[in-house]
Amino acid sequence: MKFVLFPLDPVHDVALKMLNRELVKRKHQVILLPPDTKMEEVIELCQREMPDFIMVSRTVGYGAAELLARFIDMLDAAGLRDKCKVVVGGKAITKELAAELGYDAGFGERTSWEEVIAYVEGRQMEKEKLKVKKNKRDITQGYTYRVHEPTFKQLLDKITDQILDWVKDKTSPAIERVKIRERMLEGEDLIEEYLKFCDETVVSYFKKNLLPKKVRFITREESKKFDQLIKSLKLDDRILRHTLDKPLVFVQYGTGCPFMDAMHIKVSEAWGADGVLHFDPSWGARCEGLLEGLLAHEEDGSIITLENLKLIKSSLDVSTLWCVRAHRGLNTPETILLAARAGADLTKINMVYGSLNGGTDPERLTVDGVYALKLAAKYNLPFDIPTNEELGGVPAPKAFAGMLVVAHLGVKLNAKPILKPLFCYSPDVMINDYMKDNYIDYNVAKVIALRQIMDAPIWPGEPIGFMTHTEDRIQSAMTTALHAALASSLRLDAITIASTDEAYARGAITVSARIDTLRAIAEAFRFFGQAKIEPTKRAEEYAQMIVNGIYETLEKVAKREDFVASLYEGLFGTREEGANPGRAGRGTVRKC
Amino acid sequence: MIDKIIDALDVETTLLAKSEEEAKSVAIQYFKSLGFNDVDVVFIEHNGFAARVRLRAYIFRPGDKYVWVFGGDGK
Repeated sequence: MKFVLFPLDPVHDVALKMLNRELVKRKHQVILLPPDTKMEEVIELCQREMPDFIMVSRTVGYGAAELLARFIDMLDAAGLRDKCKVVVGGKAITKELAAELGYDAGFGERTSWEEVIAYVEGRQMEKEKLKVKKNKRDITQGYTYRVHEPTFKQLLDKITDQILDWVKDKTSPAIERVKIRERMLEGEDLIEEYLKFCDETVVSYFKKNLLPKKVRFITREESKKFDQLIKSLKLDDRILRHTLDKPLVFVQYGTGCPFMDAMHIKVSEAWGADGVLHFDPSWGARCEGLLEGLLAHEEDGSIITLENLKLIKSSLDVSTLWCVRAHRGLNTPETILLAARAGADLTKINMVYGSLNGGTDPERLTVDGVYALKLAAKYNLPFDIPTNEELGGVPAPKAFAGMLVVAHLGVKLNAKPILKPLFCYSPDVMINDYMKDNYIDYNVAKVIALRQIMDAPIWPGEPIGFMTHTEDRIQSAMTTALHAALASSLRLDAITIASTDEAYARGAITVSARIDTLRAIAEAFRFFGQAKIEPTKRAEEYAQMIVNGIYETLEKVAKREDFVASLYEGLFGTREEGANPGRAGRGTVRKC
Repeated sequence: MIDKIIDALDVETTLLAKSEEEAKSVAIQYFKSLGFNDVDVVFIEHNGFAARVRLRAYIFRPGDKYVWVFGGDGK
């Protein structure tokens, strides 16, 4: 076919040059005119050449419509209008405008050259192929979980064997509840039995219909209407990663209300998120037993009930990965059971972080954690292991030693761990002045160190860039985007991102604040693509320091021959470093 | 239209003001004069003679009864 490409513009002709490239590649005959060619000259040329298509481009500008209309009139007067197809493209062009002006087709902003080529070659159906298809990924695929160095393996084996030996004759209210709950889910009426292992808040709810403060029931009518609303929402799949394969981008929700959560999730999906994490309220983690029903409340974190989880699940796109956190509270094993029953893809367990940040008693969480790992294996839920104790000031090597113990323990119990180092400007970094002139080296060092020890997926969070965010929207989005770019540069498996409201403590996170960071990340991924961020040589030095620190910590814990005592006694982080053994559930572990 | 807002309305602007406090006060007064009650300044940065400010009015908070669940007409 023959084409005349005419930039009806004093300067801009990039789109036509791209089209020229592709048309020539396809062996079409093309005449590309320079900008600022007079219309009369174009008409004369077209009368001589008789092209199949005249393709006009025009960017925004005053009088653009009038000029385009005049060109069509001139083609008409010259007898060309019926002999050639005339197409217009440009930022401000819409299909409607093109038709109104008398053009055969119009292509506006966000049109790809593939769409235009498909149109001129009569392959409109090709557009379908251009649509993004998002697929659910298994983050753990391809990893062996091998511990590279025999010295590390010996230490990890020794510690994890000791843990398994220690827990084998112990149980807790959480374990008893999850056993009962499993039978209840099979249809047995065991609520009285279940309540024997619950706190008064839960007992009052079931026996006296009393709700905790600020909690409200979602009505059946609301639920029905919401279901209709969710089913009516349509979105085109969008991927943030441009040409990259990794990392997957996760957003943590937990507005307090499952309806609001679901809307935040839908918007996050629409703007390209690959996965979401369920964030539960802190009071729920400190209460024995879980509530039931569709429940909303006015504070951070959304209440874990099977009904709430099912509502969230019903709103998720089929490609969206869903992690339900179970890592730190008195309901850790039961949360995993409910997560699995509701259809979650992932969960989160870390006995060390969960018991050293003022949460659950170490003894209790060790017993519950091992049981939770067994459940994660049973229900095939890969689990991530956060090291957020770093935010309290615990040095990365000690936090990582704990993470690796839990990871190795998980592997022994046939579960699939995901390492989750913190990726930020942490207190450890600030106190020790590790990243003097960049925010890169120590984060890179963490990844180098972990990769040196174990072949496992790495998913930094939670979220990336934490503690560098401020209430300024631009700064927060930028910080998140740069950390995301660093993660992609290191080919990490996934990241959890912040919203630009992350540092705003006087109100709930808004959905617009989620879009801010998703947009910023897409730009960062596009900007860097396959290119990499280069750390300084300090990164390697820090990595070695971290590896040595992990080794020293593991050696001390192995020598102590008591994992739980190691937690209480500060081997995984001292009180001065910000590791405070939790008290919730203290004294509740029983022999069985 | 306001019934269709998922959670909050944010407005970003730059105000001429002698101090951060003055800018904050003016911004909140302005939003309240528009009929918004649940108002806050999410971010403010004053420099010399002007303040960049991000104002927020929550239309719906978590746990509210959302009009958008009922098709936008509140029924």
